[in-house]
Amino acid sequence: MNNEALIAKLKAIVAPYIQDEEAFKNLSEDTDFVKDLKINSANLVDIILDIEDEFDIRLENEDMEQMLDVKSAMNIVTSKLNN
Amino acid sequence: MVGNDIVDLKEAQNASSWQRPRFLDKLFTDIEQTYIENSNNPFTTVWRLWSMKEAAYKLFIQQNPDRFYNPKKFECRIEKNSGIVKFQTFRCYVETKITSDYVLSEARCIQNNLTSEVLKFEDKNQKMQSVMLKRMLMNALSETLKIPKTALIFRVSKLGTPSVSYNNKIINVSLTHHGNYGAFALGV
Repeated sequence: MNNEALIAKLKAIVAPYIQDEEAFKNLSEDTDFVKDLKINSANLVDIILDIEDEFDIRLENEDMEQMLDVKSAMNIVTSKLNN
Repeated sequence: MVGNDIVDLKEAQNASSWQRPRFLDKLFTDIEQTYIENSNNPFTTVWRLWSMKEAAYKLFIQQNPDRFYNPKKFECRIEKNSGIVKFQTFRCYVETKITSDYVLSEARCIQNNLTSEVLKFEDKNQKMQSVMLKRMLMNALSETLKIPKTALIFRVSKLGTPSVSYNNKIINVSLTHHGNYGAFALGV
């Protein structure tokens, strides 16, 4: 999967949880889930579970630890898919 | 130093689904899952434990400035309204208040009563809530310290940790909002 397709998938996953429309519209690799999209930290786990379901992967605690922005999410998904 | 966290239970009911597969496993240790299973109200216990972890994390990053997401490693023990949260060598005391509307936790390095002031918002607009919470916090701090509001400077660190400074002194504060509720605590 190329980066654009991956970002598009992640964008669809986070959409229900975002609280800042402007930041969501401009979502890029550098977008931070909490600081920019204002996603409540209680919903980060929902996003992680949605990512697991969407890509049919399982994320460990260590994978989750840095999942605070789009770029980290992309890296983790890519590495899991290539395993 | 203080860290607090509020969960609007109605919002939690609507926006999160704790009963979905793997949800509990991702966030909670075996002991915490036992608390939930044995609870008369598993839903409230889920959010109580969550708010304890969040409050403890907010306190932890004031001492160890680095953002991360690892709620399961913040291990909770609870007894009545009090609890202890451990993360690696870090340990703090957490007091929790549970009403039919919200769950509120406050973490400190030493055992203390819960001091957070709660606000109910009519509007769910986050930016407006932040502005109102900050204003209430500054009023309360000005009154507590007997210092005019104009002498207090509010700051948010790169990690998102708030503090107020005056006369070269820094006071740690904690702000939280979720759904229609917000709360602030003063680290004094």
